[in-house]
Order: sequence, then structure tokens, then C-alpha cells
Amino acid sequence: MGLRKLWQYRSIVREAWDQTTAVATFLCGLHVTNKYLCTFGMAYGPSMLPTFNLTGDLFLADRLSTRFGKVGRGDVVLVRSPEDPRKVVAKRLLGMEGDSVTYVVDPKNSDRSETVVVPKGHVWIEGDNIYNSKDSRQFGPIPYGLVEGKIFWKIWPPKEFGSLGQSRMKDPDL
Amino acid sequence: MRLVNYMRQWRSVAKEALDRTAIVAKFLCLLHVTNNYLCSPTLVYGPSMLPTLNLTGDVLLTEHLSPRLGKVGSGDVVLVRSPVDPRKTLTKRVVGMEGDRVTFFVDPLHTDRCQSAVVPKGHVWIQGDNMYASSDSRHFGPVPYGLIQGKVFFRVWPPNGFGLLEQ
Repeated sequence: MGLRKLWQYRSIVREAWDQTTAVATFLCGLHVTNKYLCTFGMAYGPSMLPTFNLTGDLFLADRLSTRFGKVGRGDVVLVRSPEDPRKVVAKRLLGMEGDSVTYVVDPKNSDRSETVVVPKGHVWIEGDNIYNSKDSRQFGPIPYGLVEGKIFWKIWPPKEFGSLGQSRMKDPDL
Repeated sequence: MRLVNYMRQWRSVAKEALDRTAIVAKFLCLLHVTNNYLCSPTLVYGPSMLPTLNLTGDVLLTEHLSPRLGKVGSGDVVLVRSPVDPRKTLTKRVVGMEGDRVTFFVDPLHTDRCQSAVVPKGHVWIQGDNMYASSDSRHFGPVPYGLIQGKVFFRVWPPNGFGLLEQ
């Protein structure tokens, strides 16, 4: 009598195991896609106005471009913050290594601008909203190894669905 | 009739090949996840970490949990993505965490001059144990913590160096 109960439990356990492995395989595949192919995320904050809204936009970012070095000036990239390694920020890439970048140091208070050469292995990032953005103007050029993905498509809000345009505030070829 | 037989055979062969491929793919998946998030073996070579690590190559075990949890500190040997060439990975020792003041020899081959620097927020100061032949934070400055990829904790090869790394 007890043996039959055990036998029933065995089939339940086996079915639970099968379902678990199916779910685990799916999560594994999802994780690999997120890490190496394409991922989506939400960007919020004032530093990339008007490209990204203050309260939050959903975007798609691809991870292959950064691996193969195919990011360039004018791209919006996902970058691990050099000041807080637990944060990932979205900024626009304005200078590659060797470029001479001219920027306005503190646009709220003065018109002073400075020019700097981006060292080897580094990139210069700036937010589109230079009045309210913490970027390379404050913490300097960042190593390319911190660039994690390139944002290429916006999914939310629906009226802004589509690929990101070039910066509307600066000419990235300057 | 013969065609139908052939097709049936090919179908069973194809199904078996697909099953085997799925098993191999799952194994590689698991191996990859372990390598990236738990523990992985790495071959390191070069003169910059003598005498701790050999010139011609050591196989080390690195764990990838510590940098994620913020448990990397001064004195740890870490694997770091190079800020100068993002395709290279360096092995160096962490000498200072954010907020520390580090004093270092600028160019020990030619002069005794010392310099001092404070490590900014979110960065670490890395140096090779062999300061005469190492390109490290003395040349390219403090490195953002986000570039640390793993912490070395064990040496597997050569056999007479098998075991934990000394401080």
C-alpha cells in the first residue's frame, strides 16, 4: 500500500524535474541572448533629453557592436559608470581614441570651452542635455572596456517607436 | 519505394544528430555559465608579476563572484580588462581602493623619485609585483572598478606552485 504511494510520488517528481529543466533551459537561452546579442532596458533621468524622456523610455540595445568595435561617434551607448560600478548609464559617444574633443565645461554658469585629446583605448561620452548631465566633462574619458552595448531602437513610448536619430543638440562631427 | 526507405533512414539519422547536438549545446552552455560567473581557469604570462607568477605561464583559477559582490580589496591579485587596449586582459595586484592614498615609485629603473596620489571614487589602483617591468596604474592611472573581471585565488600549474597564492 505504501509502496504504491511512493510510486505515484516518483512520477510527480519526474514531471517536476522535466518542467524545471525546460524552464532552466529557456532562462539559459534568454540570458545568453541578453548578454551577447540584444537586450532591452529602461532609461530614465534628465541627462539625455530630448532623445530620452525624463520619466523613462524602453529601448533595445545590441551587444555585438561593442564586441567587434563597431561603435562610433554619434551612437548612444550603454556604459558602466566609472564612479559607481553597479550603475549602467546611457550616454552619447562623441569622441573615439585620438580625437580632439571640444566641450563646454559648465554651460549653466559660463561659456568657457576646453579641448582635450582622447587617449588610446578610451572614449568620450556626453549626455545630450549638457545642462544636466554627469559625463566625461566631469569624470574624463572612459576606457572602452566599460562600454557594454549600443542602443539602436526605442520601444516605448509608442509615439517615439523607431530607431534613434542623430543628436539634435550637437553636431557629432565637430 | 526505395526513395521512401532512404528518406525514412535519413530522417532517423537527422533526429539522432539533432539530439546529440542538443546535449552538447547544453553542456557548453553550462560550461560557459560556470566560466563567466563562478570560476574559470586562465593562462597568464609575462614578467610583470614576478616573483608571484612565472614569466612563461601559469594556469590560475579565478572566481568571478567577488567583483560582483564588491569583495575585492587591497592585496588581491585580479584580472582586469586593460584600459589602454580593451581586447587584452591584465593580471595585477590591487594596491589601493577608492579613497586610499597610494605612494609609488615613478620609474624605479632610473630614479628613486616617489609620487603620491589619491584613488578617486569608483576606481582602484593596480600595480604589478615586479615594478621594474610592469605597465600599470603608475602609467595609465587608476582604473574604474567596472573593469575588474575576476579575483585570482588558486594556482593550478606548474605543479610545484600548486596551491593558494601568497600575499
